[in-house]
Amino acid sequence: MSILINKETKIIVQGITGNMGKTHTALMLKYGTKIVSGVTPGKKGQEVSGVKVYDTIAEAKEKTGATVSCIFVPPYGVLDAAYEAYDAGIELVVIITEGIPPHDEVKIIRRASELGIKVIGPNCPGIITPGECLIGIHPGIIYKPGKVGMISRSGTLTYEVALALSNAGIGQSTCIGIGGDPVIGLGFIECLKLFNNDPATEAIVLMGEIGGTAEEEAAELIKKEIKKPVVAYIAGRTAPPGKRMGHAGAIISGGKGTAESKVKAFKEAKVEVAEVPSEVVDLIKKVIKIPVKV
Amino acid sequence: MKLFEYEAKTIMSTVGIPVPNGQTIKVAEEVFNLKVNYPVVIKCQVQTGGRGKAGGVKFANNVDEAYEIAKKLLTLEINGIKTSCLLIEPKTEIEKELYVAITLDRGKKCHILLGSSEGGVEIESSDSVKIVPVKNNYSPYFGRKLAKEMGLEGQKLTMVSEIINKLYFLYENHDLDLAEINPLVFTKDRKIIALDGKMTVNDDAIDRQPFFQGWEINHMTDISERELKAKIAGLNLVELSGKIGIICNGAGLTMATMDLVKKHGGEPANFLDVGGGANESRVRRALKLVADNPNVKIILVNILGGITACDEVAKALKAFALENPDRKIVVRLLGNNQDKANEIMKGTGIKSIDDLDQAVKEAVALGEPA
Repeated sequence: MSILINKETKIIVQGITGNMGKTHTALMLKYGTKIVSGVTPGKKGQEVSGVKVYDTIAEAKEKTGATVSCIFVPPYGVLDAAYEAYDAGIELVVIITEGIPPHDEVKIIRRASELGIKVIGPNCPGIITPGECLIGIHPGIIYKPGKVGMISRSGTLTYEVALALSNAGIGQSTCIGIGGDPVIGLGFIECLKLFNNDPATEAIVLMGEIGGTAEEEAAELIKKEIKKPVVAYIAGRTAPPGKRMGHAGAIISGGKGTAESKVKAFKEAKVEVAEVPSEVVDLIKKVIKIPVKV
Repeated sequence: MKLFEYEAKTIMSTVGIPVPNGQTIKVAEEVFNLKVNYPVVIKCQVQTGGRGKAGGVKFANNVDEAYEIAKKLLTLEINGIKTSCLLIEPKTEIEKELYVAITLDRGKKCHILLGSSEGGVEIESSDSVKIVPVKNNYSPYFGRKLAKEMGLEGQKLTMVSEIINKLYFLYENHDLDLAEINPLVFTKDRKIIALDGKMTVNDDAIDRQPFFQGWEINHMTDISERELKAKIAGLNLVELSGKIGIICNGAGLTMATMDLVKKHGGEPANFLDVGGGANESRVRRALKLVADNPNVKIILVNILGGITACDEVAKALKAFALENPDRKIVVRLLGNNQDKANEIMKGTGIKSIDDLDQAVKEAVALGEPA
C-alpha cells in the first residue's frame, strides 16, 4: 500500500542521543513509527524516549530485526555511520544530516550501489507513508493517507504542497524528500519507477529545483515508461546563475540546470507543470480518478 | 571557497607540480625590490573569471614598465570585484598549451578528469574536452587514460598523467570541488609547467581541513557586506536587485516564494533561508539583514513551521515591529504553534495571511505600487 516503508517497518536511529536524534525520535514514535533501537557508540544501556541505545548497529539489529536506519549524526561522521549500517546488513539508509562534504557523499553512494543498498538523502526530510510510518523530520500532522505519491528535492516546499493537497481532501501514498545535495541516493528516476509499480499510488507529484539535470532525465523516463499521471513543479525560476541557493545542489553553473530547461523537458514529456505551488492541487484534481471528498 | 591563483600554485608546488617562480605584491613600489628576470607577466589576483579579456594580464620588459602596469592593475575591478594583489612571474616560452581539471559530476555520481590538448581561454565552450570518469578508487591509470584521449603519446603522455596524479592527490586530500590547470604548458625547452591554477575548496569541508582554517574571511571578495554578515551568522543570503525582501525557511520554499513574487509582478530583493528550527534571535538577525538593504521597500516573511516553531518567529516579528514602526511587513506564518504565534502578534498590526498566493499579492501591491 506504499513504497519502501509501511507500518511493519522496523527502524534504528543512528545518533539517537544527539539533539536532533532525541527530538525526532520522540516525534517519530508519537507518529507511530516502529523505532526499535538506537545507536551511539559508548552509550549502551541508555534509553531515549524508552528506546534502548546500543554501541553498534550489528548488536542493535540482531536484538530487534530492524531493516532500516535513520542517520542523524554530525556531517563528518556520516560516512562512517553509513558504512557501519551497510556492514550490518541494513537494507535502507535514510540520511537526514546536512553539510556532508561531497567527497564523502560520493563514497557513501558508490558503496551502497555496489552492495545493492538503498539510500535516501543526504540532506533530506526523509520519507513518510501517512498514517503508517514516518522516518526523518517531516511534520507528520500535515500529511493524510491517500493515493498521491510525492518526490521532492526540498523539505518545506514539500510540506507546503502536501498541506495544500491535504486541505483539498487529497491524501498521499508515500512522500520522499530525496535531498538537496549534488550527490544523493535514490533519485527521481528510482522513485518514479517505484510509484509506477505501487498499486496504492494513482498519481505522482514531482518537485524539482534548479541545478543539475535530474529533472530532465526524469522527463525522459516519464515519456518512455511511466504510466501514471505526473504533475511537476520547479522552484528557482528567478534564481541568478552562479549562486548557490541554500541547497548545495541548487546552483545554475555553466548555463546548465536552469528552471526553463527543466520546464521545457517536462512539457515535451506531456507532464503538466504547475506555475505556483498551489496549482499542483488543481492539476492533480484533473488527473486523479477517485472522487475527492472535501 | 575559491582560492587565488597564487595560492593554488603554492599548493600545487608542495606536491611537485612545476609552477613559475612567482611573487605577489600589494603596492606598485614593491616591483623595485623584486628579484626576477625580465620579461615578466603581471597578473591580477581576483575572484572572478574573464580576467584576460578584461585586461588583467600584462607583460613587462623591464622594471619601469612593470611599475606603470602594476599601478594600473592594482586598481582594476573585474565584474565589479576588486583586485586583491598582483602575481608577478617570469615569462614562459610556450610550445603547446593544454588543459586539465578534476571535478565532481553530479549526474554520474563520481569524480571526473577533464583534459584537452587545446588549452586556453575558450576551453569551457570547446568540443575538444575529453572526460574520464573515476568510477572506482582513483588509480594512476585514469590519468594515463585521459592523457591518451587528449592525443598524447610516449614521454608527453607520462609527463601529463603524472601531473594529473599529483592534482588528484590535492583534489582528494584538500576536499576540493574543483582543481584546474589552464593552461598546462610544454615549454620550448621540453619542460611541463602549470601557468595558471584554479582551486575551490568545498565549503562544507573547510572545518576538517586544518590547512584552510581562518582563510574564509579573506576569500569572500565576491559577496556583499550583508551577505558576509549572514554567512558568519549561518544564514543563507543572496542579494538581488528588486524591492521585496524575502525571509523563508527552507531553500525550496524560499525559491518558490521568490518565483511567486515575480509571477505577481514584483522583483525579489533577496533570497534568505533561515533554515530549519530557527529561533527568535535567528529570525531577528534575518529581519535586520533584509531591512538593512536600502533597496528593500517591504519585507515578506513566509514561514511554514514544521520543525520551526511559529511562536519563536512571532516573537521576533513583534520585537522588530516595535523597533521599526514604519517598516511594511507582510507575514504568512503557518504550522507548528500557530495559535500561540497569532496571540503574540495581536496588537502589533501584523497578521498572518495564511494563503500564500494572497500574501505574495499583498506584498507586491505594497512594495511596487502601480
